[in-house]
Amino acid sequence: MLLGIDVGGTFTDAVLIAQGQIIAQVKRKTTHEKILEGIIEALDEVLCNEDVSQIERVVISSTIVTNALTQGHIEPAFLAVMTGPGMNVSHSFPVEPYYVSGYVDHRGKVVAPIDWSKHQDLHKKLTTQVAAVSGKFSVRNPVNEETLAREIKDCSCKKVFLGSELSGELNFVRRTNSAYFSAIVTKEFEKFCQQIERSMKQRNITAPVHILKADGGTLPLAVALRQPIEAVFTGPAASILGIEALGASSLKSISLDVGGTTIDIAFWENGLPLMAKSGAVVDGYPTSVRSFHMRSIGIGGDSHVKRVGTDFSVGPERIGPAVAVGGQEATLSDALITAGYIEFGDKGAAQKAIQKFALPEENILEVAEKIINVATKQIEVTIQEMLHEWSIQPVYTVNDVIKGTDFEPELLIGVGGGAKGLIKALANKMALPFDVPRGAMVANAIGAALARPTLSASLRADTTEGYYLIPESGKREKLPSGFSLAKAEELLANWLREQTSKWQLPDQEVEVISKEFFRTIHGYYDSGEIISLSMQLKPGILQKVAGREVEL
Amino acid sequence: MKPNLGLVFFPAFDWMISPTHPERQERLLYTRDQLTEEGLFDVPQIREYRPRLAEINDLQRVHIGVPSIARLITPAHLTSAGGCLVAADAVMSGEVKRAFALVRPPGHHAMKIVHGIRGFCTINIEAVMVEYLRSVYGIKKIAVVDTDVHHGDGSEDIFYHDPNVLYISFHQDGRTLYPGTGFPEEAGSPAAWGTNINLPLLPGTGDEGLHRLYDGLIKNILEDFEPEIIINSAGQDNHFSDPLASMSVTAQGYAKLAQKLNADIAVLEGGYSVEAALPYVNTGIILAMADMDYSKVIEPDQSNLRKQDDRCNKRVDQLIAETGEMWHNRLKTSKEMLAKCQGTWSRKKNIYYDEEGIREEQIETLHYCNKCSGYHSIQTAAADTRFGDQSAFIISLNRDTCKTCQDAAYDEALKEKRKNKWQYVFVQHKANGEIETI
Repeated sequence: MLLGIDVGGTFTDAVLIAQGQIIAQVKRKTTHEKILEGIIEALDEVLCNEDVSQIERVVISSTIVTNALTQGHIEPAFLAVMTGPGMNVSHSFPVEPYYVSGYVDHRGKVVAPIDWSKHQDLHKKLTTQVAAVSGKFSVRNPVNEETLAREIKDCSCKKVFLGSELSGELNFVRRTNSAYFSAIVTKEFEKFCQQIERSMKQRNITAPVHILKADGGTLPLAVALRQPIEAVFTGPAASILGIEALGASSLKSISLDVGGTTIDIAFWENGLPLMAKSGAVVDGYPTSVRSFHMRSIGIGGDSHVKRVGTDFSVGPERIGPAVAVGGQEATLSDALITAGYIEFGDKGAAQKAIQKFALPEENILEVAEKIINVATKQIEVTIQEMLHEWSIQPVYTVNDVIKGTDFEPELLIGVGGGAKGLIKALANKMALPFDVPRGAMVANAIGAALARPTLSASLRADTTEGYYLIPESGKREKLPSGFSLAKAEELLANWLREQTSKWQLPDQEVEVISKEFFRTIHGYYDSGEIISLSMQLKPGILQKVAGREVEL
Repeated sequence: MKPNLGLVFFPAFDWMISPTHPERQERLLYTRDQLTEEGLFDVPQIREYRPRLAEINDLQRVHIGVPSIARLITPAHLTSAGGCLVAADAVMSGEVKRAFALVRPPGHHAMKIVHGIRGFCTINIEAVMVEYLRSVYGIKKIAVVDTDVHHGDGSEDIFYHDPNVLYISFHQDGRTLYPGTGFPEEAGSPAAWGTNINLPLLPGTGDEGLHRLYDGLIKNILEDFEPEIIINSAGQDNHFSDPLASMSVTAQGYAKLAQKLNADIAVLEGGYSVEAALPYVNTGIILAMADMDYSKVIEPDQSNLRKQDDRCNKRVDQLIAETGEMWHNRLKTSKEMLAKCQGTWSRKKNIYYDEEGIREEQIETLHYCNKCSGYHSIQTAAADTRFGDQSAFIISLNRDTCKTCQDAAYDEALKEKRKNKWQYVFVQHKANGEIETI
């Protein structure tokens, strides 16, 4: 049995899955002040008749990291950077960093080691329990970064996060922010993980507990603790995986997860969600956290409807529930009920609420359609922006310029409580077919339960320099003879597999995310090759699942 | 906030002239690494754009290819030219303040008539952009400042007769470097006299000499000319580490120049110190054009940087004095030259295509008119092109060429056609890039 728990803004869902079937599911209000309590309650309820020894894995998708940042449950962290020459980064990070000498160039050559005589004050400046260190081009050679981290640890700093360990990709500013955010949330995240572990033990659950990440993969708690920031924004990731589990179409699709307040929009190709080309933005700062190409807009079933002259506004504030189910003021759902897109609650009450808006010459259906049109228009505009963004993403080869990156949607997929009516209205407007998979009401928890573990890593080899490096491991070794791109793939795949067995993850296919091969010339002669490779355990879901509707 | 800089970055990782050629896939690899690592693509002051494919007619507003442009280029050329058009659109639409087309293949050695590749160039991407700015946005007066170490003989060739394009090129003296041209006396044909400014510098000239020249001469000429748009042909091989040239400019020198010049659009040209210069020079230029602090962009290895010797400034001072005077007298000189040439002016050129070993002979004739800017006729014969020996007679009609001149031009083309002397007879319409085969 696989257990998934998703803590959303409104509901905490738990779901238990066995052999491709949902065998139990619960939905509870999220306990914002005490997230853990809500998780445990949902857990106990979903497991009440089950044999816990049959649980193979528990995955939790929670807002713990996101909340720690937005609610300020953070711990001060010391940030030290080694910038070398280049852009002035004094406003690139959430705090003013401490600048350390030392520089590695783009080929990974240590141009200057750290000059400790310039940093006699380091001990005095370092007053925090946690720290983040990051150096430009540390992913090409982490030596300076590691030296600095050791020194900081020696100053009785409990935990030090290294930029190069958080991402093997180029982008010093993003790695630095990832390391810094990891540092400031680590205490809160650690506390959460310990409580979870304790609660599991109390219930005799011995299955491994994983945390869902923003990229839709899971990690065992112990690994997640090394990169807490990866657990930010997991709600949308869970929703996406849920859609995948319920059987995403192989058509080019756009999914809409319609909640009470917001809609999350994502793109799909070959049954897989598209990833964003750069990392997530956290608290206004770019990070290296991989995430999906998606957007949220402030429209949902419970969005407040207001008359503005002859027109209407829908959202972004939530007023719900709908008048049809006992609310006070008209919501988008009331309009959808009135226009006949969905049926629930008291249709008469919904109609009455919509009737209030009608001008003398308008009939109630017209009014409802107008309201719905305001909502679908906003959604469509957002979708068009996302399509445009996708179509103009930078490409660096002539071949890609010719091929283009246009995404032409063929299907709309709706999940979430408010999806049914709205997706129909939107599909009409966009002249696209639509689908609302069964089980869509707890898609997020299903997604969490079924998410595969992911690990990604990169390898860079520079045959002129004669070494290869896997930044995520800090491993920098001499190149074996007869080195080639194929050999590089083998080395990196092996390292990923080692990690898989070390963390007792299920055997999984390893796939190449990106690769580059360049011949380098020195003088006028062929002098070597540069190979850059990035691979991951193939993300996605462990199994598909047949949905079962749940009554609220 | 409107971004200060639109950056069209296109390293063409799948295009090369040959595997060990300076124009190979690796050329902008380290620049890509540096820009990405710096996080430059994430800052709000910079917006990244992707190039589009230019149309053949965009190229033909400038070039006449023999046998045709389409047969001489690869899609890479459409992409780098298209990158310049995207940069132009970004600035003209007001989306960004300035733009930098950091693209390859480069273009400033490509001349009006094209038989093959010369100086790594087939299509003059700045010139394509200039004609696009005119056709689409109605821009008239444009200044092109070429900061590549090599004389931009292609740009000179294309703009030589155009009084509304001020072309300024400073470069390492042609007696010491390819293409061997670019002397001050090459100052434009009679109607455009003075708008082609060559400033050959002594080898070894560094930041000091360069800025002395800019402050003492180029700045004043630009102010005087009052262009609607300034374009920078941003070659980077004046750098002290460049393997093909012998100058001593640094990343700081280039960045400061970019700041002073305040070009609306910059376009990458040469620069082949791919590891030691390009990552830093490009970072410097980008930061300067984005109104950001570039003071920390310093090459990690300056051990090969030599201080310029006294003769360099002497040459600079001489150029300031002589060219300053030429500029001052240009209108008077132009009038005298026009009076003397009585309606037509002609020059003979021998052009060498280093990349393909092609020798071309050209006779270019300008036909002046009182009502319009007249038309050009060009006779070209090239030996040893990839299509064998080839010859063409070409008429080039300007945007404003009047009916009388057009009739005369067509008469001339038909007369040449009847001679059976030429493999091809073409008429170029600069306004729309159509090339007619007669």
